Amino acid sequence: MYSDGIFPTVNQTAHQSVLQAKGLRKVYGSRVAVDGIGFSFEEGEFIGFLGPNGAGKTTTIKMLTGLVKPTGGEITYFGKDFFANPRFAKRIIGAVPQQNNLDRDLTAYENLKLHAILYGMDRSGMSEKIGEMLTFAGLTNYRDMQVKTFSGGTMRRLVIARALLHEPGILFLDEPTVGLDPQIRRSIWEFIVKVNNLRNTTIILTTHYIEEAERLCRRVLIINDGKIIAEGRPDEMKKEIGQYVLEIYMEEGINERFFESREDAVIALRDSRYPCKVREVTLEDVFLKITGRRINV
Amino acid sequence: MFNGFTAVLYREFTVYRKRFFKQLLTASLSPLLFLIAFGWGLGREVSVGGMPYINFLIPGLVTMSSLNQSFAISAEINISRFYFHTFDEYLIAPASHLEIVLGEALFGVFRGMLSCLIIFLYVVVFKVKLSFNAMFLPAILLHTFQFSALAVTTSMVVKDHSSQALVNNFVITPMIFLCGTFFPLGKLPSAFNYLVSILPLTYSTKAIRASLTGGTVEYSHLSIMGLFCLVFFITSMLALRRVEA
Repeated sequence: MYSDGIFPTVNQTAHQSVLQAKGLRKVYGSRVAVDGIGFSFEEGEFIGFLGPNGAGKTTTIKMLTGLVKPTGGEITYFGKDFFANPRFAKRIIGAVPQQNNLDRDLTAYENLKLHAILYGMDRSGMSEKIGEMLTFAGLTNYRDMQVKTFSGGTMRRLVIARALLHEPGILFLDEPTVGLDPQIRRSIWEFIVKVNNLRNTTIILTTHYIEEAERLCRRVLIINDGKIIAEGRPDEMKKEIGQYVLEIYMEEGINERFFESREDAVIALRDSRYPCKVREVTLEDVFLKITGRRINV
Repeated sequence: MFNGFTAVLYREFTVYRKRFFKQLLTASLSPLLFLIAFGWGLGREVSVGGMPYINFLIPGLVTMSSLNQSFAISAEINISRFYFHTFDEYLIAPASHLEIVLGEALFGVFRGMLSCLIIFLYVVVFKVKLSFNAMFLPAILLHTFQFSALAVTTSMVVKDHSSQALVNNFVITPMIFLCGTFFPLGKLPSAFNYLVSILPLTYSTKAIRASLTGGTVEYSHLSIMGLFCLVFFITSMLALRRVEA
């Protein structure tokens, strides 16, 4: 899927496990937000957590970045327990939260400087590092402007640049393009892919946009009701349920049937008494097939 | 090791510098109004405990103004937690809770101390004769620290702006009016004495007034203030830990 897109595929030799989670759980009162999930990621991977709103994606990211304490389970970074070595782990992760949580009273430069100090970066090369990062993110012109004057897309870029400043090995992005128009979304995608390709940063993003997961991620974990219900390469997951879908518009809703080839789907279409449409399978169909409901309702 | 502490102070002072005149103006107005209304208007002919009322009032205004300024960090941390979410940056970073709490609290101390300078300027303008005792410094330090630490605690406990306003209305404002800021405590019915004796501002007011009006600063008062500093510092650490639950 990603090979035919706008983004080049880079051959990467993934080897070391950078992040591992086992039996991760989060319970709020009687509500189970995350229900015992586990995974292991290797260096340079591009992972997507795909699922509907409220599936537990953000809670998972918050546990992995130390914003929320898990009710149970373990997290290890490079084989070291997260909670026993918080400083070590926090230094090697970068996090882009769902909201643009920049300091609006500070300039782009000051926001990055605050981050640099916070992460204990070396004072001597700090200013140059910030300059390089602004160039990398294409924000040089915004250096001394107050963040409150920025557009949504520019803020997003700066939040990502800030998360990269201390050169983390792993970058978390929670719904990175939510609320952005299609053109800006595309430019943010290109930026994230650039980070993954040029810096070999392991990327873990959450999204409820099917297209985002299919285009960017080399491995997708589908999450529903706090559980991982499917996992794999987007193209392989789709292949498993069939390449084509026949959507049948019936009175009680849309019925979907899966086929290996377009011809088979078209033959089935001829027999139908209802209006129909044949299209390629998406990850949403994978989700629908397993859960019986759609991701974006 | 102090990266978190330095970062919090860098943030606060950078923003403060940009808002300096606005903040200074805000901090100057209310003590001036109190001075005009109670010092000039009402208190011209009044004397309290053998001194002109305005001399009694000024130390009260010092405690009130510095309390307000120190405690004001609470609302700002609250906004950064719930509105701009900038506080999450500190929590995600490799910085300890201790650094964050200390950074915020020390900024509160700074803001409180700065507001005292404004009042001292009024002292000159209004030609009030104060006697300045060196014990004023430890007293004002403890005073501003206890309310900065209380501010951090509050901002970690409350869940939104309206509960923040509730704390201001039901804790801070009554304390300012009841703890001897504007009138001597002996004038209150005895039931009130029990209430004010558990409020931290009572001891701050006593110590600060003594240090500015030629009285003796009681070590017991300073010790109680120190105790409140410790208590509020611990509660702010506990409250911050609960934020990550």
